[in-house]
Amino acid sequence: MGSIFKLAWRNIWRNTRRTILTMCAIGFGASLIVFSVGLQLGQYDLMISGSTKIYQGLVQVQKEGYLDDARMRDSIPNAQALGDEIRKLSGIKDITVRANGFALVSSEERTYGVAVAGVEPEHEDGVSIIPGLIKTGKYLSDNDAQEIVIGASLAKNLKITVGDELTIMGSGRDGSIAATILPVVGIFESGSRELDRSLVQIPIDTFQDAFSMEEHAHAIVIYHKDANLAEPLKLQLQTLVSKRQQQLVALTWDEIQPGIKESIELDYSSGWVMYIVLVAVITFSIMNTFLMSVLERTREFGIMLALGFKPFNIGKLVMMEAFILTLLALVIGTLIGIAVNYYFLINGLTFEGMEEIAAQYNMPATITPQISLESSLLGPLVILIFTLLAALYPAMKIRKLEPVEAMRHI
Amino acid sequence: MEKLLLIILLVLFPLSGNAKDAKSIIKNAIDKYRGETSYSEVEMIIHRKSWQRSMVMKVWTKGLDNSLVRIISPKKDAGSGNLLKDDKMWSYTPKINRVIKIPSSMSNQSWMGSDFSNNDIARADDIIDHYVHKLLKEEIKGDHTIFHIESTPTEEAPVVWGKEVLQIRDDDVILEHAFYDQDGELIKKLSTLEIKEFSGRAIPAIQRMQKTDSEGEWTEIRIHVADYSVKIPTRTFTLTNLRNPR
Repeated sequence: MGSIFKLAWRNIWRNTRRTILTMCAIGFGASLIVFSVGLQLGQYDLMISGSTKIYQGLVQVQKEGYLDDARMRDSIPNAQALGDEIRKLSGIKDITVRANGFALVSSEERTYGVAVAGVEPEHEDGVSIIPGLIKTGKYLSDNDAQEIVIGASLAKNLKITVGDELTIMGSGRDGSIAATILPVVGIFESGSRELDRSLVQIPIDTFQDAFSMEEHAHAIVIYHKDANLAEPLKLQLQTLVSKRQQQLVALTWDEIQPGIKESIELDYSSGWVMYIVLVAVITFSIMNTFLMSVLERTREFGIMLALGFKPFNIGKLVMMEAFILTLLALVIGTLIGIAVNYYFLINGLTFEGMEEIAAQYNMPATITPQISLESSLLGPLVILIFTLLAALYPAMKIRKLEPVEAMRHI
Repeated sequence: MEKLLLIILLVLFPLSGNAKDAKSIIKNAIDKYRGETSYSEVEMIIHRKSWQRSMVMKVWTKGLDNSLVRIISPKKDAGSGNLLKDDKMWSYTPKINRVIKIPSSMSNQSWMGSDFSNNDIARADDIIDHYVHKLLKEEIKGDHTIFHIESTPTEEAPVVWGKEVLQIRDDDVILEHAFYDQDGELIKKLSTLEIKEFSGRAIPAIQRMQKTDSEGEWTEIRIHVADYSVKIPTRTFTLTNLRNPR
């Protein structure tokens, strides 16, 4: 083995220029894939955190069936007590309880239909970034405060500002008429068009009062910044709430908003179609190089066979050459790719028109690539496999060589 | 020349005459149900899989454009009401003593949590002016003839339906009213379960609205009392009156 490696190493550098050119092709392909995959995965991270940290959280506990058809009746009994229990038992702090409803909100001049959320002001802060995005006024103060905060676009549509009163009218949990009048204490601007136009928040006790909810609510929302924890968190919570036997389910962010995960998966697989085309181009050019280097050494192989080398070992030698060359090129290419990713991770990458697209997904306008095992190694690994397959063909050709005939070859 | 051809065609195939018949059947039925003026006491039962809710309300109407609904039970909601006037809708509740105008964008939302939409309540007569009617068939059942009419909204009609199919008895009682979406799927159906006489007219006394996709869930409207001979002053249908439950 050692001698074959030595032989292969020497053979590679017999034609330095060709070797370096081939390595360039492989290395460039590798860094390109590492950079693009890193960028793509980084973008997905932003999409996920955009959808989770603004409002929806990473995992939610809901009544079974509430997700499909948000009926007020499908609620969690003693929700705030359950929220406290989960806080204590799971050790996670960023948990908030919300009740949701639909109502007409009306200023002196105008009326709009909006989603009304009853929230726990003191816990909302860690779960959603809305409390931190209050543009004018302040956030809700207490669970039973007579206050309301609304989105900036809605405030503009209703032609109201902090201090004005809003009339809220909708249906309560028991079907009765829910109505209350609350002063606007704060206006938030989340950047999400949907939330800014059609979400209002009021303290949870105030909500339960107005909407005849008793002690019920609709969601216990848990936030954690690491999206990979969604599944384990879900399992932990599911076990916890199953004990209550109230048909409660724990749902991850992608179950709550399946659109985001679907569009990520679609984008990722269409990205890979591009990469495979790129890898195929690289592979064919490498196959050409390998084939050339084997064909021009027919005489040499003939002598080796005559000296007693087994065809199998010569095949191994050629494969070893291909392996060393590819690996070397991949290491260099991958390192360059990671370096580029690192540069943009520090400095951020943005391009024209990015802001508008990003706003739709609640994303910032700069992308930072992801540096992970997947982004750094998956692409190069695919190239390695393809190039070794490409080297297999010339290596197989050697087995058909006859020593005498081969030696006569020029 | 083209005009002449058109005239000949019209003479040979008098489609318009047929359509007018269908339209007048619908108009008569709606006029009869609403009356020139009417006062009624109506119970609305909202039935869901695990619960049921019943409301009793008083309803005053005048022509097709004015109506006032006032809830009298349950106690919690008593005094709350709706005013409909010329396609506009206001809601009032004594809980906060405010009137809210229901925006037209809400017209397909459920009315008071029932299977009726605001549109069903406010614009029942749209079907007369904004639809093209076709008599599908006449069916003889017992002493009565039942007209099956398909009504398709015109391009500019402010509705979401693809078509509506009505069954109207020859004494102007609507037996069934089915709503189809743009793809021809049945979305919901209003069926008359019981017919009674009020002020000498046969009226659908119990009607049930059922959505196709939610089995076991429906809303029933039961007319307890109806009087078509009362005089109702115009001031009944004002915001001031909506705000003052007597």
